[in-house]
Amino acid sequence: MSTQSTDSFASRVGIVRETRRTLEQQFDRILGEHGAVISRLAYSYEAVAGMREELVQEIALAIWQALPHFRGECSERTFVFRIAHNRGLTHVGRRRPPQQSLDDLEEADEPVDPRPHPDEHLAQMNQRERLASAVQSLPVAHKQTIVMMLEGLSHAEIGEVLGITENNVAVRLTRARKALKEAMGVTQ
Amino acid sequence: MTNDPMTKDRELDLWREQWSSVARPSPELKRQVQKRIKVQNRRFWLGNLLAVAALVGVLILAIYQLSHPASGLEKGRATGVCVLLFVAVACRLWISRGTWRAETQSVRAFVELWHRRVLARIRGLQIAIYLAIGWIVFCTGLAAANWVTIRLELIAHPTEYLAMMVVLVVMLRLIWFGVMWLRRRKVAELNEVTRILEEMQTMND
Repeated sequence: MSTQSTDSFASRVGIVRETRRTLEQQFDRILGEHGAVISRLAYSYEAVAGMREELVQEIALAIWQALPHFRGECSERTFVFRIAHNRGLTHVGRRRPPQQSLDDLEEADEPVDPRPHPDEHLAQMNQRERLASAVQSLPVAHKQTIVMMLEGLSHAEIGEVLGITENNVAVRLTRARKALKEAMGVTQ
Repeated sequence: MTNDPMTKDRELDLWREQWSSVARPSPELKRQVQKRIKVQNRRFWLGNLLAVAALVGVLILAIYQLSHPASGLEKGRATGVCVLLFVAVACRLWISRGTWRAETQSVRAFVELWHRRVLARIRGLQIAIYLAIGWIVFCTGLAAANWVTIRLELIAHPTEYLAMMVVLVVMLRLIWFGVMWLRRRKVAELNEVTRILEEMQTMND
């Protein structure tokens, strides 16, 4: 009787450990595959480098917490985008009035890519920064649609993440694109 | 990539190209996240353990005082603690209705849930203020009813009682400022969530 219950306990512990290992592997794979997407998405919500780093970590942590509940009802990419947007929104909502240190300000203005850049590359970088700051300046709903469009998600996937119909996505995308162009024009 | 007509759009292709090099994940990300997971797990267990220990401890003390021969003051205090705990837990459960999980898994449903949660938190703080006022009134009533006993104690140990009163007043002020600060933060968060929700609504119209 006692040997049976010890065996059953040991097998349960084994199952828990195995499940955790599987989750860890899945999490590592997700970070590897979608790490860049998470960083870009955090960039669209937060301009200050230090806080952006914080947001990326928060998103990764939220993915880790949600992973045991992920049953594959949607694609992994949709799952990651949904969590990342949710966390990004919470970050925006709880953000205190900007209290940037000089270091942060310098970092925020730093080029993202640290490679040396000749003039041609500098022009490309300016374009990139203009796009990035224009995306940051958009209202939340436009920002979410634009970011997912830039990441190459289909209308159906965007609709699934945002909880709206494909028609609605199309309308939002048109408006968001117009707003992005205007924002880029303003920042030009 | 999608099969949308937009992908053939040169402007969009250029944006996508620029966007893809906007930010890169830190090579330290995995290590930092693992560190945060450990800290959070520890905090979760410790927080829950402390809350349960405090609740059980207070209940045991209250039940002990109620079931053993004790003065009216002690019995009254024990009853008060039990009632306060019961009311606090009941209020917490009552205001948490509809805030456990989102209706769907979309971002919109999440924002709606967030809105409900912040509202519940603000209501919770409001109820905590009422409960605190109720508790002070109850304590004053209890002290008045047992003034004879308290007076004798007060005459015997005036310094201890004075020190206790000073500590209580300072603590009350600190708790009051803490609650007010939290409330201000939550109201600011509520305004922000409402703005986001309205923005999402406007985009759908």
